[in-house]
Amino acid sequence: MQQFPLELMTFYHQQVLRFREEMYPKEYLTMQVMRSKKFIDQHYARPLTLDEMAAEAYLSKFHFLRVFKHNYGRTPHQYLISVRIARAKELLAAGASLKEACYCSGFESISSFGGLFRRQAGLPPYAYRQRILLKKSNFEESSLDRLSQIRRH
Amino acid sequence: MKIRLTSVMVDDQEKALQFYTTILGFVKKTEVPMGEHRWLTVVSKEEQDGVELLLEPMGFEPARVFQRALFDAGIPLAVFNVDDVAKEYERLKGLGVKFSMPPTKMGPVTLAVLDDTCGNCIQLAEV
Repeated sequence: MQQFPLELMTFYHQQVLRFREEMYPKEYLTMQVMRSKKFIDQHYARPLTLDEMAAEAYLSKFHFLRVFKHNYGRTPHQYLISVRIARAKELLAAGASLKEACYCSGFESISSFGGLFRRQAGLPPYAYRQRILLKKSNFEESSLDRLSQIRRH
Repeated sequence: MKIRLTSVMVDDQEKALQFYTTILGFVKKTEVPMGEHRWLTVVSKEEQDGVELLLEPMGFEPARVFQRALFDAGIPLAVFNVDDVAKEYERLKGLGVKFSMPPTKMGPVTLAVLDDTCGNCIQLAEV
């Protein structure tokens, strides 16, 4: 990467460097934290501790917490919960029971699952499931309607 | 909903076709005559069924002002992905392409910005 004289830099080039300075003052830290994020993406379904996540980034707990938040705008725990909720949504939409959705996405109790789900998705898991399944069945009905109309023509 | 086509405004379609094919390495996909101009698209050689890039003739005065302002600020109008920015940079420089930003690392990505000779800055990105 060669040096470029400032007066020859375009506005965009300067912005890129400024952003880099602000966002990635230490590039290796970003890479390490990305590694830990991938680790969360892969292992969300089992209990994960902050120690484990931090170890994946080769950082102390507190340092890890700070760098993760700086890069992703939320704490590792908040991120882990969002990954789990997203997985639970998929499972519910595929027709899983609340219990299955809860335990298979890494939550350890139905009540904390319900509360966290509600806070993130805006409605409780059973209502979410009902809504999605209803939407699906409406869709299937209307597709069948359309199909029968087409056949009639 | 799908993204099948995107466009860059160019001051001269023939010149643009030459640059985007012989220099950048895209291939021509569609060419439909439309009087003075043509419907002219190129695609990536590696993804010929992928997103088409329309080389759109610049015919709207306010757009010219917008394009000029972006260009002067070095702000890319489009971004193309490459496997190795440094390698592309050397290859394209060898072909006489001008860069307003040499390969620059920004966290997990490496970026470079070139002049497409048709009025636009184009960014190359390696993720």
